[in-house]
Amino acid sequence: MTSTGELKAFADSITAATSPFRNYLSDLHREYLSLTEGTVADYIPELALADPQWFGIAAATVDGQVFEVGHCDQPFTIQSISKAFVYGLALEDHGRDYVNSKVGVEPTGEAFNAIVLDEATNRPCNPMVNAGAIATADLIKGKDGTERLKRMLDMFGRYTGRSHDINVPVFLSEKSTGHRNRAIAYLMLNFGMVSDRIDETLDLYFQQCSILVNARDLSLMAATLANGGVNPVTGDRALDQRYVQDVVSVMLTCGMYDSSGDWAYRVGMPAKSGVGGGITAVSPGKLGLGIFSPPLDAKGNSVRGIRVCQQLSKDFGLHPFNVAPAPKDLATWLMGSADLDSW
Amino acid sequence: MPKVISVHSYRGGTGKSNLTANLATTVAQQGYRVGVVDTDLPSPGIHNIFDLEPEVMTKTLNSYLWGEADLADGAYDVGRNLNLGKGGTLFLVPSSCKADDIARILKDGYDVRLLNDGFRQLVKTLELDYLFIDTHPGLSKETFLTIAISHCLLLIVRPDKQDYQGTAVTLDVARQLNVRHVQIVINKALACLAPEVLRQKVAETYGVPVAGLFPLSEDIAKLASEGVFCVRHPEHLVTQELQAVARRIME
Repeated sequence: MTSTGELKAFADSITAATSPFRNYLSDLHREYLSLTEGTVADYIPELALADPQWFGIAAATVDGQVFEVGHCDQPFTIQSISKAFVYGLALEDHGRDYVNSKVGVEPTGEAFNAIVLDEATNRPCNPMVNAGAIATADLIKGKDGTERLKRMLDMFGRYTGRSHDINVPVFLSEKSTGHRNRAIAYLMLNFGMVSDRIDETLDLYFQQCSILVNARDLSLMAATLANGGVNPVTGDRALDQRYVQDVVSVMLTCGMYDSSGDWAYRVGMPAKSGVGGGITAVSPGKLGLGIFSPPLDAKGNSVRGIRVCQQLSKDFGLHPFNVAPAPKDLATWLMGSADLDSW
Repeated sequence: MPKVISVHSYRGGTGKSNLTANLATTVAQQGYRVGVVDTDLPSPGIHNIFDLEPEVMTKTLNSYLWGEADLADGAYDVGRNLNLGKGGTLFLVPSSCKADDIARILKDGYDVRLLNDGFRQLVKTLELDYLFIDTHPGLSKETFLTIAISHCLLLIVRPDKQDYQGTAVTLDVARQLNVRHVQIVINKALACLAPEVLRQKVAETYGVPVAGLFPLSEDIAKLASEGVFCVRHPEHLVTQELQAVARRIME
């Protein structure tokens, strides 16, 4: 009897579920589940509904293995994580020079919702603060709001390999309470930095923050960037390879709100967090991580998410500038070996 | 390093649960800490061999899969009444034999990855040296998983055509799952077949070592109703063969 593709596919899913690397993630999950610091975002009521016990860790490798522990199917709103990926779409729509003329790439110590533009150029500092993300959303092409939203959703679908929807109550809440974002948008309109379809663009921005994803999706999005813009499971290209470095480098310098410097120092994996509790982190050429845990620290990053990324970076030497031998060899833990005791 | 032994057969009625119970007991008699998990959720039964009454089984594998308890909460010290000696310990995690619980598992299914996490936690909590997994016959999500995690896979085969074919399929799966140690146990061999010839033929057919051979006999048929055979009949030939299989597993 010979093995068919079906057997191999199913067997692969089982070996991923029982591999040493997943066992490692499972221990990590257990360890940090008891960490109860942080508070769930409550600036809109829908976000406050999140269960602080929700906790999922997903990792996807560039060769398409996906490891999941905990609540990896629980949907939540992507929030600011969307900013990095929409930036990639804007780059594809207009090219680097034009996008650079509208949005800078300089990290800021200011809060993510600061009403600050560069004094000389009137540009928002970077695409990860709200001002920059609104200016970036403005760049998304399409004949109307529907087509622009659809293009965004399709793009996320190429990263994750499934179709996405928005959470309408979250969108409506964000919209009805988003006065500060409206103020930022009008300030940019005043300087001619965004087009005058401003209400449509603000809607689009609130919608992009309300897209529903799960931890598995976040791991695949990061793995797609780690894999040069091609989803390692479906083989579909999600981002033009010329712009992978743009997206990943702004994630490294600006992705973790105003703790990005500390993150770059301690963890080093380019990452983006959202107030929904998600973090997506890229280890170029190796893997992508998606962590979901709603309690946030004072800066708006998932407390458990940060700790998981720190631990993974340390144990497997995933900091891009690390040259010291790591305590654990990633390839061995992914492949498994006879001498490896992950029990 | 703890060792996981999955006992599997392609078809039902091969004596899987009896063999699992007896092997686990034999290993525990050597002074080891041994656990047995009954993953035969649709048709649990091994608790009978250990005389564990359903009324006592307040926590089971089902409770763990439904998030109601840790797997170790459903571990019962069945070795206490077996006079294991040498400080050996034997725990059983049964599956629920309530019809409602079985129906719930069949209807809702469960995340098979939980089994892997639960087994690891159980081994850590109870500090087990050996974990035996009794499985549902045939191939299913949970048999794939238990095969994949086993350090040693024991396939029980009766010498008949259906078992032979099924065992070939299971071996295909085991190879695909990169299982390193597979051994075959021949059970219910007819007296008319010469044991050594049979052993050799089976080993050659599958390219897998034969860890033991048990004849079809009334003594063995009594196993199920009599508790753990190797404890009741320590000098019996069958018990000696069990000890031989246990030694091969522990190598």
